Amino acid sequence: MNLFKIIAELEKVDPEVMDRLSHRRSALSALGDFSKKMALAAAPIAVGSAFNKAMGQNTLTDANGILNYALLLERLEYSFYDQALKAATLTGTLTGAARTAIETIRAHELAHVNLLTAALGSNAAPAPANGFDFGSAFATYPGFLTVAQALEDTGVRAYKGQAGNIPRTLNPTVGGAVVNLLTVALQIHSVEARHAAHIRYMRRGATAGAQSTIFPWINNADANGAPAVVYGAGNPVATFPAESNLAQGGISNLATGLGTTYTVEDVSAAFDEGLDNTTVTAIARATATF
Amino acid sequence: MSKIINSGGDEADFTKPLYAPIKRRSFFMYAGATAGATALILSGCSDDEDTVTAPGTVSLGSGDIGVLNYAYALEQLEAAFYAQVIATPYTGITTDERAALTAISKHEAIHRDFFKAAIPTNQAIPGLNPDFSKINFTDRTQVLTAAKTFEDLGVAAYNGAGQLIQNGTYLLLAGKIVSVEARHAAYIRDLLTPGSFAGNDVVNTSGLDQALSVSAVLTAAQPYIKEKINGDNVGK
Repeated sequence: MNLFKIIAELEKVDPEVMDRLSHRRSALSALGDFSKKMALAAAPIAVGSAFNKAMGQNTLTDANGILNYALLLERLEYSFYDQALKAATLTGTLTGAARTAIETIRAHELAHVNLLTAALGSNAAPAPANGFDFGSAFATYPGFLTVAQALEDTGVRAYKGQAGNIPRTLNPTVGGAVVNLLTVALQIHSVEARHAAHIRYMRRGATAGAQSTIFPWINNADANGAPAVVYGAGNPVATFPAESNLAQGGISNLATGLGTTYTVEDVSAAFDEGLDNTTVTAIARATATF
Repeated sequence: MSKIINSGGDEADFTKPLYAPIKRRSFFMYAGATAGATALILSGCSDDEDTVTAPGTVSLGSGDIGVLNYAYALEQLEAAFYAQVIATPYTGITTDERAALTAISKHEAIHRDFFKAAIPTNQAIPGLNPDFSKINFTDRTQVLTAAKTFEDLGVAAYNGAGQLIQNGTYLLLAGKIVSVEARHAAYIRDLLTPGSFAGNDVVNTSGLDQALSVSAVLTAAQPYIKEKINGDNVGK
């Protein structure tokens, strides 16, 4: 193998556009409102494999585009937790420490919305006119947590997927203070990861079904009832592999390539993977109507 | 430097005992031609003094290699800590806690071994000797408090170092690791104080996690490492 061969391989990753578009359309229509699909454990897996082939690529090139993309995701997350805390269907189950945790997470998402709005100034995109409709996501407590896990893990992948697109020397003034945009994005990114870990921890609780196989981190590409696309590969797959990825930094398999043998669960969990904005946006649109 | 470039590109290398250089070459391939070459040049110019500069002192080096060594040092510390936690579990450890802490110990060992394999051998810092003499490993609160310190520090370190990284491939790699550290931090904090996964001691009113400078992180980490760590040129 040489460098040019690898570049040639990378160029081959993106399949023909027409083929991609037709896959994507059918995948989207098949997915529909994914909160309704939660009951159908097998459905997201089938849809996920279609997405892996179909979706793709980072299309954001400028800072405002990236910030507005982040703003949309944060608005969606804030709205999700806000609606959950107000949902009559969850008043009997989302209580005590669980309610406090969701209030904490909601406060962070609102802070992110406010920060991004301030950073964008007059370039901020308007919020969706009709808000976000999450369908039946709040019907049950375990179902709510399943969607929450999907949203948080997607958020982590989304920020990671844009890190390389943010110039490291971009230092805008936000609220009177000069900030490094890449650092701010990383600071939001790790907070989303903390949220994801806690939501996953909540799912182990008795009232959430005592799902003891769920850990705060992502073993393999295990979806734990969330849509498989959340944990699948993006596009290009070489940059945004599935969460089950074992190859890092040019070492093809860390489970066997480090001198000590590690399990694939531990290797996959030790590295979270990024995701392109096209795939992330499709996941968002499958989660909520907006 | 010239040796690195000359070693690239032909399969004859595999007949030589060059385990680390081969890893390094494939690592740079992922970065693309320009980025890889830039990293090689950057790492090659000023790093002859990269390893031990004075007795007991370890310099992390400069540029991107310095950032990688910085991460390698922190991962060595975390891996050694959790190895001890698993070897001598605290009193009253539950089955769930043991399983999760064992997984964390593996994640950190994988991070450590990954950096060891990825950083060019002649530029990588040596194995460091941890000093955990102030931690009573039989005491749950002490162990989890130390774990919280290490995990939150790791998150803050990666967050602060992101803007120092020139190579996009390394930045993405750092991003892949930092969110796992944040997951660890959240879990450990929940074990210590339920609901403190993103407490306001680490997440500010703008909803931002900590981002610390290299010097601030090393000051916090130094008491747990026997060698004196010099990170003055990391990212420069």
